[in-house]
Amino acid sequence: MTSRFSKAMLLAAVLAILLFLLAPILVLILSAFDSGNVFRFPPRGLSLRWFEAAFNHSEYRSSLWISTVLGLLSTAIAVGLASLAAFGLVRGKPSYRLAMEVLLLAPLTLPLVVWAIALLSIYAQLGINGTLPGLILAHVTITMPFAARIMIATFGEIDPNLEAAAKSLGASPWQVVRRITLPLALPGLLSSTAIAFLVSFNDVVVTTLIAGAGWITFPVRTFSRLRTEGIDPTTIAIGAMIVAFTILVIVFGQRLFQLSRRL
Amino acid sequence: MKRIACYAALTAVSLFPCLPALAQDYSGRTLVVGTWGGDIERLLREHVAGPLETKTGAKVEFLLGGSGDRMSKMVAERNNPTMDVTFQNIYEAPAALKEGLVVAPDAALVPTAANVWAGMNDGCYAMSLVGLGIAYSKALFPEAPEWADLWKAEFKGKMAYAPYPSSEGDGMLAVAARIAGVNEHDPDAAFAKLAELGAPVLSYSSLDEVFTLMDAGEIAAAPMISGYVLSNLGNYEGIGFVFPKDPGPVLVRDMVCQVANSPEPELAQMFIDLALSVETQTAYAKELNFGPTNSKVELTEEEAGRVINTPEEVASLLQLDWSYVIEQRSDWTDRWNKQILGQ
Amino acid sequence: MKQTPDIKPTATALLVAPAAILMFGVFVLPFLFLVVLSFWSQVPGSVGIVPGFTLANYARIIGDGYYLGGLWTTLWLSGLVTLLCLVLALPLARWIYAKRSKGLLIGLCILPLVCGALLPTLGLVNLLSPLGFINGALKSMGLIKTSLPLLGNIAGVSIGLVQAFLPLMILPLISTIERIPHDYEKAAMSLGATRLVVWRRVLLPLMLPGIVAGSLLVFCASLTAFVTPQILGQGKVVTFASLAYQQAAMVLDWPFASALGMVMLLFLALAGLLGALVSRGLGRRT
Repeated sequence: MTSRFSKAMLLAAVLAILLFLLAPILVLILSAFDSGNVFRFPPRGLSLRWFEAAFNHSEYRSSLWISTVLGLLSTAIAVGLASLAAFGLVRGKPSYRLAMEVLLLAPLTLPLVVWAIALLSIYAQLGINGTLPGLILAHVTITMPFAARIMIATFGEIDPNLEAAAKSLGASPWQVVRRITLPLALPGLLSSTAIAFLVSFNDVVVTTLIAGAGWITFPVRTFSRLRTEGIDPTTIAIGAMIVAFTILVIVFGQRLFQLSRRL
Repeated sequence: MKRIACYAALTAVSLFPCLPALAQDYSGRTLVVGTWGGDIERLLREHVAGPLETKTGAKVEFLLGGSGDRMSKMVAERNNPTMDVTFQNIYEAPAALKEGLVVAPDAALVPTAANVWAGMNDGCYAMSLVGLGIAYSKALFPEAPEWADLWKAEFKGKMAYAPYPSSEGDGMLAVAARIAGVNEHDPDAAFAKLAELGAPVLSYSSLDEVFTLMDAGEIAAAPMISGYVLSNLGNYEGIGFVFPKDPGPVLVRDMVCQVANSPEPELAQMFIDLALSVETQTAYAKELNFGPTNSKVELTEEEAGRVINTPEEVASLLQLDWSYVIEQRSDWTDRWNKQILGQ
Repeated sequence: MKQTPDIKPTATALLVAPAAILMFGVFVLPFLFLVVLSFWSQVPGSVGIVPGFTLANYARIIGDGYYLGGLWTTLWLSGLVTLLCLVLALPLARWIYAKRSKGLLIGLCILPLVCGALLPTLGLVNLLSPLGFINGALKSMGLIKTSLPLLGNIAGVSIGLVQAFLPLMILPLISTIERIPHDYEKAAMSLGATRLVVWRRVLLPLMLPGIVAGSLLVFCASLTAFVTPQILGQGKVVTFASLAYQQAAMVLDWPFASALGMVMLLFLALAGLLGALVSRGLGRRT
């Protein structure tokens, strides 16, 4: 198998996989331009009316805002706590490491609907049901397994000798963390942040039960009319705009990163 | 003249303290209402929440989701409810009252409730009347079908159902029982008869998916609730809807409940009062094709033709023994999963 | 054999404590309530619950082929999705390895999730439908006569889950593959190894921690996934998550739903334990 052939094969495979991943998004973006009243693909006519509707619809805007704020707060807390714990487990090698890892992964082991109802009952006993902190705690819990698993793997791959060398050269523990550990852990931190945010942003079941009235998130709102009225094409336009925005952020971020590399 | 004017002014001023009782200041307070999302939320915001906010200065917030989620919430939050008003199904309301989760309907607290047709405020206040009819593909049914027509051999395996448990599912079982010559109290016969229709093409999670397939003739028919279907018919040329006659459509009622021990009982009562008002009920009928429960609502002939709005019409509908059906819920869910979906 | 820790035990405990306290309070406490609940029973037709010990819920699950069948479907569906994610993510990871515009490519992989899990799923329904694009394209190319059933079965559900969870596999894989110095591959090839051997002897073994991490995440996420299998399965694919939702939020039989959760947990505890042990074993070897 020549090198060029295998390279071409790889490229072909990659393109096929990317197409597979992105096909539904393309469907979505194209149907956002449909002129009809319902979700249709291929679109029957082209129009921008759903984009206009999206800007006029204050409820969707506020639900997007809520989803984003909730996601950012939960992610910050989850990644922070997960990183601390992961660092402790990997570097400290305690006897309870396995038990702790199981504890951190535990939310992935239950259908979340059952846990959410139990959590709501407990919140009600404590009088914190329907509050934002209660909702944030729930979101931190469901994103923790993802953040923890990635951070444990991340710290596990950083050679402890690097840290030991820095220490032997006279660096304080804080300097070691700041100059050696964190930069090396950065890819893992970014991954777990991205995934934790997406898990929180996409959650429907837990949020429907736990969220109080002022905290209706975007997926909960979208899902709540699905069976009785179908999907609101405004939502599809919003989805298309989010995708476009993300692509811009990624492309821009990429350019920025490459520029900063050269400086 | 001057004296009369003086007296008039004095009287007016002395009446002033009475006026705030009519337009009390609830500013800073929040009323929480649980409802289905989409057009219902929109109508409630426009016709009930908006006026209530203007009148009282309170804020109205909506909680969205399915009625099952709201039942779960009421039970879980029993000690510390966050919802004040909740919309539930015809069968959930009596159960909620029995469990002490909601306040019994009382026309003294909610004046417009007195205008609701007699006997409908069962468990909670009756909000809308809809019927379970047949949504069908015009390609496969050139003429509107009767229930019995669905059992013809050429349509086997071409039905669509809502996820069970649901009022659509229970209604369909009751119809199947009637076609088999019994009623819902004989589940063996009911399920056996329904199973004859074959496994469904799908249990739909989104209205779009069932309508797209029905429009193209891939699905023959589905038991559906009139309001939403009628509102959507304009978007799909190949779909029709009919209220069958033999047996008639199944009566389904949306109920609005005041949650027990909630933070804002007075605001809740005012909300329900507005929801049952002629203005809101008329909007529901005109825009959503949901039949009004308020007897004082007047509709044009065309509008009345699309909704269920008189006791006579209600009498012609199939009414289920919902308290019995609810008791069987767990057993029937198992049967539905295995005998209907699992074929 | 206990390895020497790099930080003191008190420091370890302090680092681990916040996460532990949070998980204990917010997850374990409700979980304990669920354990107790699984031995109680529901008042038929009501939302009331009857306390008192009974094994009826468990007996119902174990004795009924339907529920065990649902558990089995869920397990092997998750396994299938994990395998597919791995097979698709490996070429992607290898290709992104050492490329300049990494961020863009990784971003593309995550893109399906940014607008929510619901919207791409609906887009997929459209593509896979008997009237949809894929069947239409295949028909117009003359490859099939009647539509392929791509929805309402394992095929549709696994496609949807793979799309939803591929990022969970790709990100750990990429972070592991990036640690492999580029010289390793070149060295191996200069010693005469073919690409396949390079994969088998160099890349895969070094990527194992990432593979284990990604597989564990995808497997567990697939097990508890609800929205995507519900929509793509069209109610005909029975997963444990949808059974639990039906019992908890629709039938309102919370004791039974809790029992369902416990049974699933038992199987998953085993899977998690296995993954952790494999990880540990690898950690000792390298």
